[in-house]
Amino acid sequence: MSKFLRLASILLLLLSVSTVKAQHEFGNSRISGDFGFNGMYYIPDSIIGAEKVDSKVRANAFINLLYSNGGFSAGVRYEYYQFPLIDFEKIDYKGQGIKYFFADYKNKFIQVTAGNFYEQFGNGLTLRAYEDRQLGIDNSLLGARVKLTPYKGIYLKGVWGVERRNFDSYIGRKDFVRGADAEISFGEIFPVIQDKGFVARVGANIVSKFEKGSGDYIFNIYPGPDSTAEAYIPGDKIPENVLAWATRMTFGYKDFRLEAEYARKINDPNVSNFHIYKPGEALFLSATYAMKGFGVAASFIRADNMEFRSQRMEYSNSLLFINNIPAINRQYSYQLIGNYSYASQPNGQIGAQLQINYQIPKKSKIGGKYGTDLTFNYSRFHNIDKQPVAEAVANGTPTGTEGYTSSFFKFGPDLLYQDIGLEISRRFTKHWKLILAYNYITYNIAELQGHPGMMRGHLVAADLQYKINNKHALRLEAQHLYTKDDDGSSAYAMLEYSVSPHWFVSVGDDWNYGNPDPNKRVHYYNISAAYVWNTTRIALNFGKTQEGILCVGGVCRAVPASYGVGLSVTTSF
Amino acid sequence: MKKIALLIITVALTLVGCDVIEGPYMNLSEREDVTVVFPDLNPDEVYRKVLMEEYTGHRCSNCPAAHQMLDQLHSVYGDTLVIVGIHATSLAATNLDYPYDFRTEVGDQLANDFGINAIPAAVFNRENDHPGGLGKDEWMGKLREMDRSSVPAAIQLINEYNASAASLKVNAKVTMLEEYEHPLYLSLFLIEDGIVQPQLSGMTMIPEYTHNHVLRAALNGTYGAYLTTDGLLEKDNAYTYGCSISFLEHDWNAANCTVVAILYDRTNGKVLQVETLPVLP
Repeated sequence: MSKFLRLASILLLLLSVSTVKAQHEFGNSRISGDFGFNGMYYIPDSIIGAEKVDSKVRANAFINLLYSNGGFSAGVRYEYYQFPLIDFEKIDYKGQGIKYFFADYKNKFIQVTAGNFYEQFGNGLTLRAYEDRQLGIDNSLLGARVKLTPYKGIYLKGVWGVERRNFDSYIGRKDFVRGADAEISFGEIFPVIQDKGFVARVGANIVSKFEKGSGDYIFNIYPGPDSTAEAYIPGDKIPENVLAWATRMTFGYKDFRLEAEYARKINDPNVSNFHIYKPGEALFLSATYAMKGFGVAASFIRADNMEFRSQRMEYSNSLLFINNIPAINRQYSYQLIGNYSYASQPNGQIGAQLQINYQIPKKSKIGGKYGTDLTFNYSRFHNIDKQPVAEAVANGTPTGTEGYTSSFFKFGPDLLYQDIGLEISRRFTKHWKLILAYNYITYNIAELQGHPGMMRGHLVAADLQYKINNKHALRLEAQHLYTKDDDGSSAYAMLEYSVSPHWFVSVGDDWNYGNPDPNKRVHYYNISAAYVWNTTRIALNFGKTQEGILCVGGVCRAVPASYGVGLSVTTSF
Repeated sequence: MKKIALLIITVALTLVGCDVIEGPYMNLSEREDVTVVFPDLNPDEVYRKVLMEEYTGHRCSNCPAAHQMLDQLHSVYGDTLVIVGIHATSLAATNLDYPYDFRTEVGDQLANDFGINAIPAAVFNRENDHPGGLGKDEWMGKLREMDRSSVPAAIQLINEYNASAASLKVNAKVTMLEEYEHPLYLSLFLIEDGIVQPQLSGMTMIPEYTHNHVLRAALNGTYGAYLTTDGLLEKDNAYTYGCSISFLEHDWNAANCTVVAILYDRTNGKVLQVETLPVLP
């Protein structure tokens, strides 16, 4: 019965696509939305570690509906993740129902939202309520938001809400988040500044979370040879209100731009920081300069004890984060280094990133007819310097103390991630284009994924595009990762053929030929075909996925090994 | 208009709370004396027991299969295997269908420290060589390969339950059967059997499922308290330790509760011995 219900509900959701036609307008009213379905039939494969799953057919599906009329809008999202893809089941993104709905009104002066909303203050160091469907993260706030523009160039925001935790009920929750943000854009207030090429903005915010206490926190210490005492943190020493604040500025003149944000969080003993009372802090700096054919961007980040969640005992990788410390390293989409993507470390990271772009001019001897783009990149991240306080040393645990002291600009002893990269992109003729890339990556598996090891690897990648004519195009991606560490070397090739605007077909193979375990020298092949019609895309694929991680913007989740046939349908209307 | 803006800012500021906590952050309480007299110990009757911390959750569809595996293991290993069922990870969270909260702070802390993300999973004797714990198909093999030939210490327990005050005093005595060179900690857990609450099994919810070995609380913190002050433990040395817990404000049924005592090496986390004793005789 349940099998029948499952299939029926999946089919029903699929059918609903065909019943929704292009956007509907009635007078000033407008209804729009989008739909996504991502299903898979799983086949067990013991060699790659694809486990036998209890229901072989699984799918994630959702539909967003948005009604708008002038300044008023209201929206609702229905999600059907009752039998989700195994990636999502692993992170408990499982259930069905309406967990996102809102009503919103805005005019030039005010915007008010009731229901669920996403919001970010500055770079998100104190508050970032966002959704990433691929990662299975939705930490929208359910509550109310007010945005004000009292004067051109002055922006004020206030939020109050309870953070979403997958499909769990909001009823009985003992925690909520509130915050306020103000931003002044001088260029908008005094247009003369803007006219002269200056950009000047300052902003500040405060965010506070409330979480009802749950009594004493008992822990173990070693208070000394003569002591006969036990240790505990009494309930009244566990802060129910934790405040974070941040201040930021952006300054620009013509092609130059400087951005800075500093955030601080007061005592927040929680499971991730071993219940220490040291305040957290984060600094983000970024400078860019761009002119025709040349650009340079440098950024710096330091985060110390800045993991900020709605519940102090939550430790799941994807749940109840109030803030987000951005990853500033260059992000890649190369298949072979996907498992070595840097994950931002809010509780301790210091690092910098430099990127230089240069275009060898068009029609020059070296640059060729269309010019050649060069991108050089270097990034390096370490843990932070941590010197345990005397009390923590004496007790044998940091719990219930200030934890440690840290020299602000000192790099910690452990390298977390380093990337040295060079990319050359050149169009040879109207038909041919080639991108070549080389990266040397050092990735601390122990610190970033929790199992022993350090990966040092050389990646060489080529992306060759051949446009046969206006409709037909071929693309070949070839990559090779050379490493003696972790799973060893791999080679990857993918050929994609597209007939625009409707058809895309591709075959690819990721061969982990250098795996230290000869039985795991597996071909992770993938065949896929997609059909696109206006805003609708239907894709079918068949293949194997290696166990690893998936990262988007420095936020990562585990990806279990899988093998099977997938179908995805997306459309918007 | 500006007045409205100012008003809103003021209201927002007053709504935002901040508790600045002044140190010292922790309290120390005096250790309880052990006044009971333990019976004589016969070292030949002491055998090495294994601690199995099983991570589970009422919304974990594969967990009932893992519980069956536990029953199988129990039939093979009897009381030499001490199972503690820790309800943790997001599959242990509550919702309308599964309203009973099995989670504990100590369980959440352990799950975090041992990197438990997917359940069912188990950690044996706190050996942290498999981050995230071992899946149920690996349990039997793991138990088979564990070396239990040495018996470094014995734990004796005496429980004193005061029904009128609903309080339990646990008295423990550790006797070294071999010389040992690291400081030792003793951790006391309370577990309960026979809790009838819903459990997801495969695709269906079993409304009246019997949950056993459920971790209820740690009597002396997540990782217990030091038992020895130095790292030189002579053979035949004995150490006593006492500790109390109140059953008030909890729905624990003393008749179904058992105390689990875990003796471990603080420097490497290795468990030396485990012992259990029901709260009521």
